[in-house]
Amino acid sequence: MQVMKGKRVQGWFWLLALVIGGLLIWGTQHNAGLYHDPIMKVTQVKTGRATKETDDFHNQDYQTKQTLTGHILNGSYRGRSLTVTNTYSQSGAMDQRYHVGSQLFVVVHQHTGQKLTATAKDVKRDTPILTMIWVVVALLLLIMQFSGFMAFLSVAANGVLFLMAILLNGSTQGAQVLWIFGSLAIVFAALTLWLVLGANRQMLITLATTLGGTAFSIIVALLVFHFTHERGMYYESMQYVTQLPRPLFLAETLLGSLGAVMDESTDIISSLFALKRERPELSANQVFKSGRQIGSTIMGPLINVLFFIFVADTFPMAMLYLKNGNSWGYTFSMNMSMGVVQSLISGIGIVLAVPLASFLASRFMEKKVSA
Amino acid sequence: MSTISTLGLILLMLMILVGGKAGAQSFLALILNFGLLFLAIVLVAFHFSPLIVTLVTGMLVLALTIFMSSGDDLSSTVAFIASAVVLVVLVAVIVPVEQWALVQGFGPEDSEDLEGLSVLVGISFVQVTTATAILSTLGAIAEAAMAIAAGLSEILEQHPQVGLKALMGDGIAVGKQIIGTTFNTLFFGFFGGFLALFIWFTGVHYSFGEILNDKIFVSEILMILFAMVSVILTVPITTWVMTRAVAGQRKRADKAKMGE
Repeated sequence: MQVMKGKRVQGWFWLLALVIGGLLIWGTQHNAGLYHDPIMKVTQVKTGRATKETDDFHNQDYQTKQTLTGHILNGSYRGRSLTVTNTYSQSGAMDQRYHVGSQLFVVVHQHTGQKLTATAKDVKRDTPILTMIWVVVALLLLIMQFSGFMAFLSVAANGVLFLMAILLNGSTQGAQVLWIFGSLAIVFAALTLWLVLGANRQMLITLATTLGGTAFSIIVALLVFHFTHERGMYYESMQYVTQLPRPLFLAETLLGSLGAVMDESTDIISSLFALKRERPELSANQVFKSGRQIGSTIMGPLINVLFFIFVADTFPMAMLYLKNGNSWGYTFSMNMSMGVVQSLISGIGIVLAVPLASFLASRFMEKKVSA
Repeated sequence: MSTISTLGLILLMLMILVGGKAGAQSFLALILNFGLLFLAIVLVAFHFSPLIVTLVTGMLVLALTIFMSSGDDLSSTVAFIASAVVLVVLVAVIVPVEQWALVQGFGPEDSEDLEGLSVLVGISFVQVTTATAILSTLGAIAEAAMAIAAGLSEILEQHPQVGLKALMGDGIAVGKQIIGTTFNTLFFGFFGGFLALFIWFTGVHYSFGEILNDKIFVSEILMILFAMVSVILTVPITTWVMTRAVAGQRKRADKAKMGE
């Protein structure tokens, strides 16, 4: 009877999630009024002939001009119809092909008389991004329930803290970037672990491991930087840099390591607590050994997580370098070297956290773990 | 000695100290993964289909990462099967969404880096960006699958007779414990990498609407979201594969007993 009831309640939740998702998609399709920039909805597309382009490196591509007719959805030009042209290439690195129904941001140049001239700036992307956020939140709540909600809450809270730290960094012209993000790392870790594990002994042990592991990895990195004089590190290859690159790089690495070290210590320590619950008679040494075993199994994959996050991202630019006649070595230095350094520093933190987590858990775990 | 090789050596030494032979294997797996990633980029530059290159690379990376770690046979096999299933599901999600969001290639923020480079190279950047999103998620899929499988295998080792229903519950429980921190690994990993971009946004005073529709921003956030979806799906899928494997083992054991 209870199972039946549980199933029905869950069915209602799935239905509710679907309805909210539908409303979200519909809403973002009709929210042009919220935007300051004029948005054009394409109602007709005329496609021209493709022309062949060849560059200095014998790369061939095709460019096509399309004429888009549509009307403005918002602002003072609302309802006015207009025609804009757009050129797209087959590869589409910096441009895109538009279709009937696309909503575009346009820049209106001239509005004397009846005729409106404008150029297409970019496509509106709020529908796909909000839809995907909704998919993640819905899956999280439906599969993980309360723990999922807490995970979502911790990411949201960290997002807000992160935003505040960036604004603070902006107001100090980036001079204090390392201190701001370093001290925030401590707040991040404490807040996240408190939300995920609750305030208990397990959380304290995990927090100590996280901060210890991350701090060690940064100290090792600074020592290595000092003794190798940062040979083979190309700060000028960092993207989107608007302030002094070195402290910024360290702050990026610090943040990247923090999450992974926290993840690993939680994995090891929560497994050890579960083990102790199943087998309360295990001695501290046996617990330490189990911890090292679990840790050495997961440390490799965890370093990989960060490696792929830091380095896979350089794929498009690295490929472009290769297509522009650069050597493999130069392509690596200019695109991937900084990501590799970040992965290695994080890796050091991740490995050091294994004995630290096992030691702290085996020595400071209560004799009898309460469920 | 260059900074990269020194840091690499230190990492290798630490991994051997902590994990012994298994640690050395994991380090080797990391090097091979880098080789595979670089190979994938080179192959795409030679006009091989980015999606096919990525799928093949993805399977190889998952196999390498999982089988070269020190997990026991059961948990490694379970983790590999589960992560391969998740990878396929994920590709089915990423391909249409990338087409829909039009976030391929580069944005206006990249113009300085692109100076002097020809972008008309005749390779579909929609596919390249899709490949990037898939590759950046691989590590997270393998790690989550291994964590769940390793946790369950520890429980099985200490408690060989645990019931299948209880095991299912244990899997979801381990999943619930790790989901919060795994999300934070992804959050910090990605946001750490894009600290510079966000500082740019506030420095140049983008409006909220501009950020929400910005090509690079949407592309980055989508990557985090894809990684999160894959981690969520990995929990029930890995647990389910594990219960199937254990059920199969027990059935075989029962049959062997009957045969005696």
